[in-house]
Amino acid sequence: MTESFYAIFAMLVFPGGLFALALGLALKGLDRRLAARLQRRVGPPLAQPLYDLVKLAKKRTMVPNIASEPVFLGAPLIGAVSMALAAALVPIPGFYTPNPAFGDLLVVLYLLTVPAVALMVAGSASGSPFGAIGFSREMAMMLAYEGPLVLVVAAVALRTGLGQGGWVSFSLTEIVAYQRTHGAFLLDPVMWPALLAFLAFYPANLGIIPFDIPEAETEVLEGPLLEYSGPALGLFKVMSALKAVVVLGLGIALFFPYAPDGAAGLLVHLAKLVLLMLIGVSVVRVSCGRMRIDQAFRFFLKWPLAFSVLSLAVVALA
Amino acid sequence: MSTFTIPVGPLHVALEEPMYFRFDVQGETVANVDIHAGHVHRGIEYLVTKRNIFQNIVLTERICSLCSNSHPQAYAMAVEQIAGLTVPPRAEYLRVIADEIKRVASNLFNVSVLAHLVGFESLFMHVMEIREMMQDVKESVFGNRMDIGANIIGGVRYDITPENAEYLKAQLDKVEPAIAEVTKIYRTNGSILGRTRGIGVLSREDAINCSVVGPVARASGIEYDVRLKAPYSAYPNLQVPVHTLKDGDVWSRAMIRLAEAATAIGIIRQCLVQLPDGPTACTSERPAIPPGEAIAKCEAPRGELIYYVRITDSPRPERVKWRVPSFMNWDALRFMLKDAKIADIAIIVNSIDPCISCTER
Repeated sequence: MTESFYAIFAMLVFPGGLFALALGLALKGLDRRLAARLQRRVGPPLAQPLYDLVKLAKKRTMVPNIASEPVFLGAPLIGAVSMALAAALVPIPGFYTPNPAFGDLLVVLYLLTVPAVALMVAGSASGSPFGAIGFSREMAMMLAYEGPLVLVVAAVALRTGLGQGGWVSFSLTEIVAYQRTHGAFLLDPVMWPALLAFLAFYPANLGIIPFDIPEAETEVLEGPLLEYSGPALGLFKVMSALKAVVVLGLGIALFFPYAPDGAAGLLVHLAKLVLLMLIGVSVVRVSCGRMRIDQAFRFFLKWPLAFSVLSLAVVALA
Repeated sequence: MSTFTIPVGPLHVALEEPMYFRFDVQGETVANVDIHAGHVHRGIEYLVTKRNIFQNIVLTERICSLCSNSHPQAYAMAVEQIAGLTVPPRAEYLRVIADEIKRVASNLFNVSVLAHLVGFESLFMHVMEIREMMQDVKESVFGNRMDIGANIIGGVRYDITPENAEYLKAQLDKVEPAIAEVTKIYRTNGSILGRTRGIGVLSREDAINCSVVGPVARASGIEYDVRLKAPYSAYPNLQVPVHTLKDGDVWSRAMIRLAEAATAIGIIRQCLVQLPDGPTACTSERPAIPPGEAIAKCEAPRGELIYYVRITDSPRPERVKWRVPSFMNWDALRFMLKDAKIADIAIIVNSIDPCISCTER
């Protein structure tokens, strides 16, 4: 009874659900502010993503005549819920350890594909040609970045498992615990190729420049999101805010989970999230232009894939 | 793979003005393009015949905000031809200064929009910041940021005081290195090169067949510039280098615009050195305009601008007709968009710097 209460609490309030949402919106606000400062603009208030969300919540969702309504409205909901679940599965080193009964790293990986799938479904359900283009682009991007991601995760799992004298370990708790005793993978040269591949996965999964191709505003008018308005669009915003927390949190768990125990651990985690958001997202997206889908696809097949294969080989041999 | 149709326009976030393209696309590639014009017929040619000759200076300035100096200038040149007026030398130089200041700002504007379309927002902001310096110049020297109101029939309305000249020189000294820096970025940055090189190619033959003008022509290797081929105002006395490139792609057109912005600064400097003393208009009164007809042309930032004016006994012109550069470059889009990727449509359309407010007169 108490266990299921904690499970629901973890998904709805902390660290998934409300907490992750607040965190995600704050990170987005910081990102927008820093990007603005880097471009010598003033930028919006830090709470702008929240204001946007409140505004969208008050509006009405228009469903296009040719759209399939249940799918059109269901896709953002499924996307947002999947990310709320995933947020409950990512540990906060030193502060929060997810219940192993919910699932491990593999479940997080599966959940991470849901937002992309939700966007694809949304794009095709909306009936708009731009949504259809967004669909095909999202699909191509997913094919491009999922491979390297899986290999990176496999490399981390293998390194942890071998280090513990076993085979592979897909438990995020064990991965975190291993690094806290044996040193972070960030400082382990054997893991650097994996880290590089993971850094390329960030912007692709979070859909920021140079990889915001499926939603490119000046090309396909936000693609799958074009027909969305009101609370349904708000749910997609919720999804993307939660996704930032999950993906960045995953990176922290996989590569540098150093943190003191207790509340200080939470603060360190937040500081790392902010740092990663600013360095890994804001700086990247202001310092380059958008790639074309074929360029991005080729890029992923060339560099991140090569690095991830290399990392797996190096880890297996080391 | 199945073909489907996507509309780009009449209202589209990536297009600044209402224009309408229907693309048949296969996957990401354009199979066929239908270009529709005529969405915003302005009736301004009709309106011109309802105003008197002098009021039309103000009206023609409002045809287009980016070429807002070239329109009244060409109109004034045509009317001066009819009336046989000789513009004083100082006014001729002042006209060139006004023209070239507008050219720097207009070219930078187009190049910055290219960065925006490529998704490189920082570069967009940076180029706009440089353009802002030229906007400051316009506001300080002419009192207005876009419609600078420089021309009148028989001369110019403004004068450059020694103070203004100093300020202008100081601003140019700031803008020139900034343009050089931006040019270097456009020449070397991977994001820009990856998205603009080899995109929207217009071959020299197609360029000649479409009779394209301005930077579009010069980027396809056609050395045509009205300032050189039919010099007007003070241009015969000035060194006007013409830049050409051979590739005819989006990148070449951007580079031509940047190079012309840089040379425009040189031209303004030459004018400030050579600027003769004297009156800024041929008469202090409104000159009498006899009946007659004339054609005048000048080089607007986008290319050759031709004005035809016919005047009868009435104080209002009977007919004023202008042929704007975008009208000529418009058709070349058909060749540039052939087999383009969807992602490049907006970039290619922007590369001719289409001006719908001029074209759909």
